[in-house]
Amino acid sequence: MESLALLGQGFATCFTPLNLTFIVIGVIIGQIVGLLPGIGPAAGMALLLPLTFGLPPVTAIMMLAGIMYGGQYGGTLTSVLVNVPGEAASVMTAVDGYQIARRGRAGAALSIAAIGSFLAGVGACVAVVFVTPPLSEFALKFNAPEYFLLATLGITATASLGGSSATKALLAAVLGLYISLVGTDPILGIPRLNFGQVKLLEGIDFLPVAIGIFGIAEVLSSLERVHDMHPIRTRLRDMWLTAQEWSESRVAILRGGLVGFVVGIMPGAGPTIAAMMAYVTEKRFSRHPERFGKGALDAVAAAESANNSAAHGATIPMLALGIPGSASTAVLLAALILHGIRPGPMLMIEQGPLVWGLIASMFVGNLILLVINLPLAPLFASLLRVPYAYLAPGILAISLVGAYSATLDIATVWMCLVFGLIGWFMIKFDVPRAPLVLALVLAPLLEFSLRQSLLLSFGSPAIFVQRPLSAIILLLVVISLVSPFVVAVRNRARLRREHRSAA
Amino acid sequence: MRISDAVPALFILALSALAVFGTWDLGYWSGTTPGPAFLPFWVAGVAVPVAILQLVEAWRAAGADAQSGAEWPDRPALKRAVLAFGGLVAIALLTPVLGMVASIVLFIAFLLVVVLRRPLWPSLATVAITSGVIQAIFVWWLGLPLPVGAIGF
Repeated sequence: MESLALLGQGFATCFTPLNLTFIVIGVIIGQIVGLLPGIGPAAGMALLLPLTFGLPPVTAIMMLAGIMYGGQYGGTLTSVLVNVPGEAASVMTAVDGYQIARRGRAGAALSIAAIGSFLAGVGACVAVVFVTPPLSEFALKFNAPEYFLLATLGITATASLGGSSATKALLAAVLGLYISLVGTDPILGIPRLNFGQVKLLEGIDFLPVAIGIFGIAEVLSSLERVHDMHPIRTRLRDMWLTAQEWSESRVAILRGGLVGFVVGIMPGAGPTIAAMMAYVTEKRFSRHPERFGKGALDAVAAAESANNSAAHGATIPMLALGIPGSASTAVLLAALILHGIRPGPMLMIEQGPLVWGLIASMFVGNLILLVINLPLAPLFASLLRVPYAYLAPGILAISLVGAYSATLDIATVWMCLVFGLIGWFMIKFDVPRAPLVLALVLAPLLEFSLRQSLLLSFGSPAIFVQRPLSAIILLLVVISLVSPFVVAVRNRARLRREHRSAA
Repeated sequence: MRISDAVPALFILALSALAVFGTWDLGYWSGTTPGPAFLPFWVAGVAVPVAILQLVEAWRAAGADAQSGAEWPDRPALKRAVLAFGGLVAIALLTPVLGMVASIVLFIAFLLVVVLRRPLWPSLATVAITSGVIQAIFVWWLGLPLPVGAIGF
């Protein structure tokens, strides 16, 4: 009941003209960012972070969160109408959505995606309301050893869940840790790994890394295959669902929402993994699995419900523990830090109006997105006719201006370019970029709590197993590190057996 | 050895060597608490085995068919990306001389007309709109003092 009262206060925070305006701006920008291939919600949030410096923190966070979940809605349009995922979490939507559009039912695919995203998003927001406060209270029992292991778990879980190659994901996380080591030792104040450069004494800021790795790298990669898109036309009257289409999809929305929420809470998994798992789960439970891949409406419903549900679920570890659940929540966490707010279990106590205002804004934002995506979907779809070539230079230019605005120093622009190049190579070598950003955000917490733990234990590592909570988290860290390799070895053995029996 | 899988590992091995030797003179332990070299040492301690594991995987994957995961562009595509990146570097170089907005104007025109071969008038319209948006948002609304060149913006 206390949660509902606090949520009511959150709505009061949300319904001010300034906050409502920026929620609308955030979700519309998120919709557009999701729509455009070549730039995802995390990149959009990183690019627009500098614009939030003049805003009150609660307004800034509401706007950035709007971009985060708005991107899940926007990605559907490109996936369905052009067969190009607008952002990574819409990959599964493209598989079936485009086939539905080719049969002349693009409107149905867009409608079920919007409705599914709305219902799953609101369901996830309700779960955030009731799960976050007790988790945050529980986390108040945490001390330095638990924080160190939790930060480590956030990094290793990202590596094991986040992509096809666990080793490459771990390498990316290690790179993020190395970047964070540059600057000054946080406890003794001694210069470290700055190679005599005065400009590096303050370390490498999050913003040029995020803008370079996500923004510049993605756009450069997209410029390699510049071609004009020709989206399938859709009209407002096509958006109505038939009774049969609705009855085919409603259970898929429920299942997709649940799968997405559970996956979203896990650090590192994120909306992309959630959409894939929901697709696979729905195919298993569907009465007509043979239709999957050929234009199954329930496939679109499941994937879209899952990705939006995961985007909201990822805010739970971020708000309760200060551990981001995805690349987008890592940027949101960085935004909190840049606005002078300390994330962690005390966030709900020290910044109650901000947290509850954010949660309330997610309800409001989802409602706005439903309104935008049902009647106004054809209008947004017309944006797809603008050749990407005319948008890319602007995105690149705004990236550099945004990087400059962080420190008003041209050195930050150079840093952004260096990380843009690194990010481009990471895309080419198929190294996931999210672990790098997550490690960069978690590194200060990781180092500080590690050194504090060892100080408390007079240098003995036994402190990490003596406390039951930290022992459990340590076990989870070990499982998250070992499991991808166990799975890989098993798969290799199975392939060898199949090969032998085929021969 | 599959090069595209080996290069990230070799890069991390090089960085690990740099991190360890770069912090060699800093204290590993300082009184009763870990020193500045503690975490770099242990990050390298994790990075090196992971990098070696990646090299082993790259070596095992050699000769395997191909889904290496690396997606290299063809020559024209690579040229577009390289020229676009070169344009961005030019912005950083020209900004102290010409000013940031002026440098951006030149970059957008270069990218659209020369690199992407778009028609002239839509490209010029894009230049005008984009530089206008940057001026309006960053300079007028946020009041950011972007570097100004000899021509005044």
